[in-house]
Amino acid sequence: MRSPFQLEPARLIEVKRENVDTKTYTLKYEEAGRFREGFDPGRFVMISIHGFGEAPFSLSGLLGEGMFETTVRKVGNLTGRMDTMKVGELVGVRGPYGRGWPIREAEYKDVLIVAGGIGIAPLKPVIEHIERNRERYGHVEVLYGAKTPDNMIFIEQFDRWRKIKDFDLKLTVDSVPDRVAWKHSVGVVPLLLKDVKVQPENTVVLTCGPEIMMHFVVQSLLARGFDQESVYVSLERRMKCGLAQCGHCMIGMKYVCRDGPVFSYSELKGLPDLTL
Amino acid sequence: MSIKVVDEQEFRLFIEKLASAYEVVAPVKKRGEHVFKRIFDVGEVDLEYVTTILPPKKYLLPPSDGLIKLKKNGEFEEVKPEAQRRVLLGVHSCDLNALMILDRVFLDHFKLPQYVERRRSLLTVALTCLNPSPTCFCASMGTGPSPDQGYDLLITKISAGYLLEVGSENGEGLIRIASGRQGGKKDLEEKCKLIGEALKLFKKKIDDVSGLPELFERNLEHDVWKKLGEIDLACGQCVMSCPTCYCFDVSDQLSLDGSESIRVKEWDACFTLEFSEVALGGNFRRDRAARLRQFIGHNLGWGGGVQYPELGGRTKCVGCGRCIRVCPVHIDLTEVVKTLRSG
Repeated sequence: MRSPFQLEPARLIEVKRENVDTKTYTLKYEEAGRFREGFDPGRFVMISIHGFGEAPFSLSGLLGEGMFETTVRKVGNLTGRMDTMKVGELVGVRGPYGRGWPIREAEYKDVLIVAGGIGIAPLKPVIEHIERNRERYGHVEVLYGAKTPDNMIFIEQFDRWRKIKDFDLKLTVDSVPDRVAWKHSVGVVPLLLKDVKVQPENTVVLTCGPEIMMHFVVQSLLARGFDQESVYVSLERRMKCGLAQCGHCMIGMKYVCRDGPVFSYSELKGLPDLTL
Repeated sequence: MSIKVVDEQEFRLFIEKLASAYEVVAPVKKRGEHVFKRIFDVGEVDLEYVTTILPPKKYLLPPSDGLIKLKKNGEFEEVKPEAQRRVLLGVHSCDLNALMILDRVFLDHFKLPQYVERRRSLLTVALTCLNPSPTCFCASMGTGPSPDQGYDLLITKISAGYLLEVGSENGEGLIRIASGRQGGKKDLEEKCKLIGEALKLFKKKIDDVSGLPELFERNLEHDVWKKLGEIDLACGQCVMSCPTCYCFDVSDQLSLDGSESIRVKEWDACFTLEFSEVALGGNFRRDRAARLRQFIGHNLGWGGGVQYPELGGRTKCVGCGRCIRVCPVHIDLTEVVKTLRSG
């Protein structure tokens, strides 16, 4: 019997620096063909490095041909080791796990994407999916905030995104250092909500970022009449198994690894240990 | 299904025969308490026990379990599960029901090969519990004092010796090696009478086990959490002694020369602060009260009935009473439910 903890070797084929502490890694499975299915936006994989352990990482790019991207901020031992990885090195991967963004439910509706910090990483494949299937989605608005302009990621993608038809990208930062020119908003992400064009009746909202940010986003949208069932959040928990067994990601009766990481707000409402 | 009655002498011989073919694990007296332990001499077995210190889950989920081996050159290797032909002898109904709950976690969806192998190699000789401890409440949980399923063989101490009842095909094989007389209606009637008497001995209960998930859902902000959270030591003894607590941590143990590491899963407890830590020191259950609510909520609320509908509404808690017995500050699950029910 194959252990659910068994790993698949994947090779690092490209590293792209996003900002001072964050890089995007392109990984390619050694045995490519088997992994085209199931890599939906919003799901996650477990990545292992010998001597440094294993952790969950969301998918930030779905490239097909057994290749995917993950965008990682250097915050601990494993991510610190990833930061030093060279092209050609091998890691162990298992997954993908969990339930991703409702990209099918969002078809023929307007889409509002609200992201904070590295929270835009799991939403990038949604934007790219919409870009490839433009006719199947209505008006799309992306609100993205970071601490400072230097903390933003995927900056190189912004011009391309702006060219997508019927697509708005609005940026904001908490503060702007003196030396930096900034022509966008200043202030926390939820402040951008006041100018969105999408209407509650026909919009699916996808949000990812610090839980406290998502709290204000969700509350503000609900107050404006958005439906709890059309507002989706992606939660961060330190999954140890990804199999709904280890218990680390339990929230009430839900396992973030199995029932999420993407949930509609209606599924989470009333559960314990959340700031949402 | 076959029924036999064996006298004390025949019972001894039966265990000896079992021990020659299997590793037999049974309750054994240890410093005034009882533990499940491999026996080497039939004289060690003590079926006149109330509850063991630790449940038998350690034979399916050892405190530490190797999963895979990682090598420096980037290769991975599975740690092959061992399969020990084992008889769990004298297991009470609560602990037997607990094994059935663990089965749902480790056999239903993602099968853990280590668990699968150990479970497949495990025969269960259950024991009707006629002497509940002051903290037991299995009777109100529908999990005791006598099991109705999940065993290979069931033993009940009756006046003539031991009544053996077969519960599975494997059990038919086991009863064949016991010499004794054919059991009958009279013996079964005696068993029922004894269970009836045992039921009168229970001191603790949960009055109404229906709607427990909803009761917890409605009472997430109840004062009881704050109040008990203040005295709670977060020692995690309740989790460690719980027969159904299965949560684990995963870590890599690196060899001294750094050439390989073994990925192990180890018992973990939702009472520890680290359990719910996320990146950059974030923690979504920093309060002890929240951790206590998680433990009790998982055991009596959403675990079981909601998570494993196939258990027919039973909760994850099987009423063994160990968590109450070991709690240094006397936190009592049955009292918590009583408090929540009273509003």
